[in-house]
Amino acid sequence: MDECTFYDRLGLPRDATHEEIRRAYRQLVLRLHPDTNVNKGETELFFDIQQAFERLSDPKKKADYDQQLPPEPNIVSPLNISTYYSQPSLVRLSEPQLIYTLLELNIEPDTNLMDSSTPLNISLVVDCSTSMQGIRLDTVKITAIDILRKLQPDDIFSLVKFNDRAELLIAPGSLADLKSAEMKVQLLQAGGGTEIFKGLEMGFSQVDQFHSSQRINHIILITDGRTYGDETSCEKLADQSSALGIGISALGIGSQWNDKFLDHITTKTGGICKFIPDAGDIRNSILDEITRLGSSLTDQVKMNYQTFQDVELSTVYRLQPDPSPLDPVSPLILGYMPRHGTMRILFEFVIKDILKNMIEFIIAKGILNIEIPHHTVGTKYINRIIFNRQITAQPAKEKPPVVILNAMTMFSIFIMQERAREEMSKGDFDKATRHMENLATHLSQKGENNLAQSVLNEVAYIRHHQSFSEEGEKLIKYGTRSLLLPARSGEN
Amino acid sequence: MIFCPNCGHQELPGALFCKECGTQFTILSRDPTLTIPNNLADHLHEEISEDADSVVPPTPNDASLSLFLVESGEVISLEGLSEYTLGRSAEDQPILPDIDLAPYRAYEYGVSRLHASIKVSQPYALLIDFGSANGTELNGQKLTPNKPYPITHGDIFSLGKMKIQLLVNR
Repeated sequence: MDECTFYDRLGLPRDATHEEIRRAYRQLVLRLHPDTNVNKGETELFFDIQQAFERLSDPKKKADYDQQLPPEPNIVSPLNISTYYSQPSLVRLSEPQLIYTLLELNIEPDTNLMDSSTPLNISLVVDCSTSMQGIRLDTVKITAIDILRKLQPDDIFSLVKFNDRAELLIAPGSLADLKSAEMKVQLLQAGGGTEIFKGLEMGFSQVDQFHSSQRINHIILITDGRTYGDETSCEKLADQSSALGIGISALGIGSQWNDKFLDHITTKTGGICKFIPDAGDIRNSILDEITRLGSSLTDQVKMNYQTFQDVELSTVYRLQPDPSPLDPVSPLILGYMPRHGTMRILFEFVIKDILKNMIEFIIAKGILNIEIPHHTVGTKYINRIIFNRQITAQPAKEKPPVVILNAMTMFSIFIMQERAREEMSKGDFDKATRHMENLATHLSQKGENNLAQSVLNEVAYIRHHQSFSEEGEKLIKYGTRSLLLPARSGEN
Repeated sequence: MIFCPNCGHQELPGALFCKECGTQFTILSRDPTLTIPNNLADHLHEEISEDADSVVPPTPNDASLSLFLVESGEVISLEGLSEYTLGRSAEDQPILPDIDLAPYRAYEYGVSRLHASIKVSQPYALLIDFGSANGTELNGQKLTPNKPYPITHGDIFSLGKMKIQLLVNR
């Protein structure tokens, strides 16, 4: 933070308006206020932001500050940003209408960022409760030792074990003695309950301690159980983690863990949540996760946004990489950006009303913030995004662009299973099973017979038990997500 | 508001698919001449399906539908549902079509497991091919998959090579 300008602290470009400054400040304060802090370090960050806001919110002080600010370093953003719309224009209607917008990000192939790998600052937070006993913990142990051996000199690694309490097994930056670290992992024992907050908190302090803009700072939680009573603390920690640029990802083993909760926590921080149905897949899943982080350009893509009057952002869905719904609140935490590949985010806006004399409609404005860690120095790129459309009297006869149509195939499958889940929670089993049967039909049309069969099996289970089976629900949720992965849908 | 042609669910203008049943609207709601025809037959059909909207008489509410299997001479009556999926059951698959054609040598005729559906809707009955392997023809014209085509009394359609005539009993 030392050489940051006040604008950087708030994640704003230098031409930010007064309104934008106020909004950015408010959002950060909500997440970092000392009264609600879990960790001590954030108070300092809070004061940094406070200071920045005091200077920038006063027009006179701002002008003085801008005067003495060194000229903006001339960084050419290596990012390509494209925007696609489902319609070439909005239609003047007396009723609400929908418009889809797709934001596509990728990196210029010839930048030097392409070849280097990103150094990591990660903490592996391992559930060692009784249920992990046996093959689950044994596999995690072997994999952890693998990771220890493969670490690069630049990487910072720590390992936290937890059950009802947390213990720092391998401290960050202490890998000089690899043998004794391996020994400690070998001696891990299972026993006790699952208190996720204890584990996350300790993992968080390790990553936070060595937090730097040169690395990807990330916590990887491995668990097979549910946590009780500390969910709110976990959420709070996730919020702070995200404000500080620390991601949290989770790997859930078996069927007993709480997918809704971990999806929620990881989504808040831009991390991902993976389902590992069989113990046999534990090893690959953990290694994949480490590889994913190492080959990411960044795990921190964020976007502050503001919708305009009579516009509601109803859904945000990340199509690529790693399909997942995102929280439609500002700042949008868009997640990680692969070094080779594309990020695609789908926005569904409801336009409630279009005023009479308008000829152009601004749907939303955003400020895209991307921090790219690098061996020498991390760089922050700030881009302004604007979604706008002309207004016409008649709907256009053009077909939506192919990227939007492809996105819809994925999005509709996601929506249908979300709907089933919604109806289930309302207790409307008829509707829920109908949505699931529709889903099965669409899946079998796509040639996904196994998944369609899982869905139909689940329908039978629901008819019998009036609830999802723990396993089936996760299988469908994560199965449909992985079905949408680019590798399988044949896109780059 | 726009209505889903498959299930009648209401969606906002601008929606690209039905959030109730997942049917994509883009092929349906746009001007069909913008879809590029693959061959002459497809091209002809686009025209026919457009005209068909005005030509086909509405199916009355109290009419009951039945299917006449041309080769075997069997008649299957459609009762109790608003949409019937047509196909053939197979042992290794959990999907059972509403109208199972397996007993009528459907496999030999090239009927897919979930081949097509007939929807009883106002003002027409609609025939939808599910993207089946051997396709569906209606009065000799090949159907575009997943697009509903109006169908009425006396129309002959074929699932693969299995010919079926729709009968509307008034």
